[in-house]
Amino acid sequence: MLDKHADYIAAYGSKNDDYEYTLSEYLRMSGIYWGLTVMDLMGQLPRMNQQEIIDFITACQHECGGISASIGHDPHLLYTLSAIQILCLYDSTDAIDVDKVVEYIKGLQQEDGSFAGDKWGEIDTRFSFCAAAALALLGRMDAINVDKAVEFVLSCMNFDGGFGCRPGSESHAGQIYCCTGFLSLTGQLHQVNADLLGWWLCERQLLSGGLNGRPEKLPDVCYSWWVLASLKIIGKIHWIDKAKLRTFILACQDEETGGFADRPGDMVDPFHTLFGVAGLSLLGDKQIKPVNPVLCMPEDIMQRLNLKPELLNFFLPMLTLVLLHHRNLEIIFSHA
Amino acid sequence: MAESEEEVDVLVQRVVKDISNAFKRNPNIDEIGVIPCPEARYNRSPIVLVENKLGVESWCIKFLLPYVHNKLLLYRQRKHWLDREALVDITSTLLLLNPDFTTAWNVRKELLQCGALVPEKDLYLGKLALTKFPKSPETWIHRRWVLQQVLQRFSAAACRSQQQHGEMESSELQRSPMLSDQLTRTLHEEMKVCCDAACRYPSNYNAWSHRIWVLQHMARGNIKFFHDELSSMRVWVSMHVSDHSGFHYRQFLLKELMTELSQAPTSSYASQNRPSTAPSSSPPHPSHTEANGELTGAEASGDEERQLNSATVLQLFHQELELCSDLIQSFPGHETLWSHRRHVFYLWHLWRRDLEHHCSCNGDAEAVYASSDSDLQAVGLQSHVNGQPGADEAMEVEGTSLPDPHDSKRLKRGVPLPDPPSLTSEYGFVSGVLDSCCNHEQKRFAAAYKKWIDTVVNQAR
Repeated sequence: MLDKHADYIAAYGSKNDDYEYTLSEYLRMSGIYWGLTVMDLMGQLPRMNQQEIIDFITACQHECGGISASIGHDPHLLYTLSAIQILCLYDSTDAIDVDKVVEYIKGLQQEDGSFAGDKWGEIDTRFSFCAAAALALLGRMDAINVDKAVEFVLSCMNFDGGFGCRPGSESHAGQIYCCTGFLSLTGQLHQVNADLLGWWLCERQLLSGGLNGRPEKLPDVCYSWWVLASLKIIGKIHWIDKAKLRTFILACQDEETGGFADRPGDMVDPFHTLFGVAGLSLLGDKQIKPVNPVLCMPEDIMQRLNLKPELLNFFLPMLTLVLLHHRNLEIIFSHA
Repeated sequence: MAESEEEVDVLVQRVVKDISNAFKRNPNIDEIGVIPCPEARYNRSPIVLVENKLGVESWCIKFLLPYVHNKLLLYRQRKHWLDREALVDITSTLLLLNPDFTTAWNVRKELLQCGALVPEKDLYLGKLALTKFPKSPETWIHRRWVLQQVLQRFSAAACRSQQQHGEMESSELQRSPMLSDQLTRTLHEEMKVCCDAACRYPSNYNAWSHRIWVLQHMARGNIKFFHDELSSMRVWVSMHVSDHSGFHYRQFLLKELMTELSQAPTSSYASQNRPSTAPSSSPPHPSHTEANGELTGAEASGDEERQLNSATVLQLFHQELELCSDLIQSFPGHETLWSHRRHVFYLWHLWRRDLEHHCSCNGDAEAVYASSDSDLQAVGLQSHVNGQPGADEAMEVEGTSLPDPHDSKRLKRGVPLPDPPSLTSEYGFVSGVLDSCCNHEQKRFAAAYKKWIDTVVNQAR
């Protein structure tokens, strides 16, 4: 099946439908990142046209340093991160002016530590993640006020341990992924209430085995990734039924055309194909390269960049086991 | 059917014109949509206006969209010149078909900045786009930017008139009836747009987080508005028991009200005369004083006011849990309702804990302690500050009629208040559900709820 998925992605780029293309051009850079990352996870990156893609990215960098989704579009932090992720896959960050990108990202940080997505000023914790991830990949985290940035993300934490897009906003699996990812990149995961958040996250698993992004929403392959990755980051991946989730993700494949859909029976697309394959990787599928849960990129790329985003481990349960063990010993000895 | 490049050109230009003419002919268009129609069967424009509904026949979209899309991108790359009027027409056509095209919204931001567009026009375009694409993140993002422009214009206008009437205080100016009327109208219109989008797509995260943003930026400290929102949303959530975002919005309102009411006294008269209490941190707002007027008569002392506010908080939480119980029993097996209960009870728990903390921290100031005591007495919570946090049994209060929290006179006469929610009452509610309900999901949610409050609330005390 992996070959079919790779064929699907390889063919996707060469499709030439004016209407479809224009509808999604506003996010083209992210589209390319999804396609290339899933190809790399399946060991098929060489099938894509490296030089053409790198030239495209160079052409998308603007005077201000920011990168746009496509040529003629306005620069934005979302596509700046996607472009940097692609360049890291190809080990080619020299294709853009890195100093200018760093200045651009730095310039988007606000007084309260939050990040605007572009010069028009929309604030969202997604953009905090984009900024931190892009700078971590470039090894330039020192360019921003990390303490302030952390303070803002923590101000978006809710009573259920989750995070929303801004202070006071509802917890949402996508935002939680961004915020736990951000806290991992900045080494602040101890500020997360891992038990409470883990509780909320594992309640996202439905009878089908799939995960949803909020209570009473339908299960979805992309939310399965965001919840699963967040659980991995906070060291609670063992709290869900992994086998059932695997069954759900596999049911979302189109066995004829290749690719994954949001839910079984729906139309496939590159976005859900990446998150389906990345999810299977986190669940331990040996046919796929190990994926990094924070940056959603192959671990071998992380090693090349010498990047090790923080992950919480099973420390607490282990401690509990040790304590229980000691108590048992005490009981045994007191009877002796 | 038009196929050659030249023919497409002519066709598309006519369609763009037809769309802008339709808006000129009927400025009250309130919904857009696509009419399924694979071929141009009739010898007429693909733009159809029926009453206030604007429809586009589907066959023309595959020509129309790429054409206007490419035209705008060429303009953006300075390869093709478009005048302001053409830009307005092209971007509005483009955004009605593809509202997540960020760059097109940005072009309109620039048009607005140079005065070629008025904010009202863009709020209207966004509203229409949301009738077809109620989630569209970029449409909501643009809306917030436009609203910020509107707010800046309001404060600039307030500053100007302040310069003209040097002797007036800024708070009085902000209450100037014309400005505040306009702001109130914009605020109500936003609530309507959010509500419409929430009805069109369930658990619409973008619509509800926008609504929260609007309140945070346009109604901060306006207790009356928050109260009104809470009561008007009651019917809505009762009809949308799976809408987690709608219930989260109620949680947000409750939390804001709880915070505002804890910052007693809130009336400007009282804060001027009682320097010992924490001043209200809310910035002055056009209808702030008016909103609180009914709660806090200028003659009310700080103590009475605090009692009144505590009573209001108790009422709010009591009513919310009642609503939640009713809905859980009428619509068994909805995760949203149980999740709402967790949050409401948790908020209540926080409020009560803060109150206890406040009282024990001020042990040196006897007056504060005493007055806090009487606050709690008024809301039936005294047992908790008398050093028995474990005594969670609700005080016995006779009578079930609930006093209007806005009515201070009735409170003074000692009308009984409802029992404060407690762990005991929550455990009672859960076992009631577990004993009487045979819905499997409902039982699962009830058990999870009990475990949750056990872990998060009970152990944290």
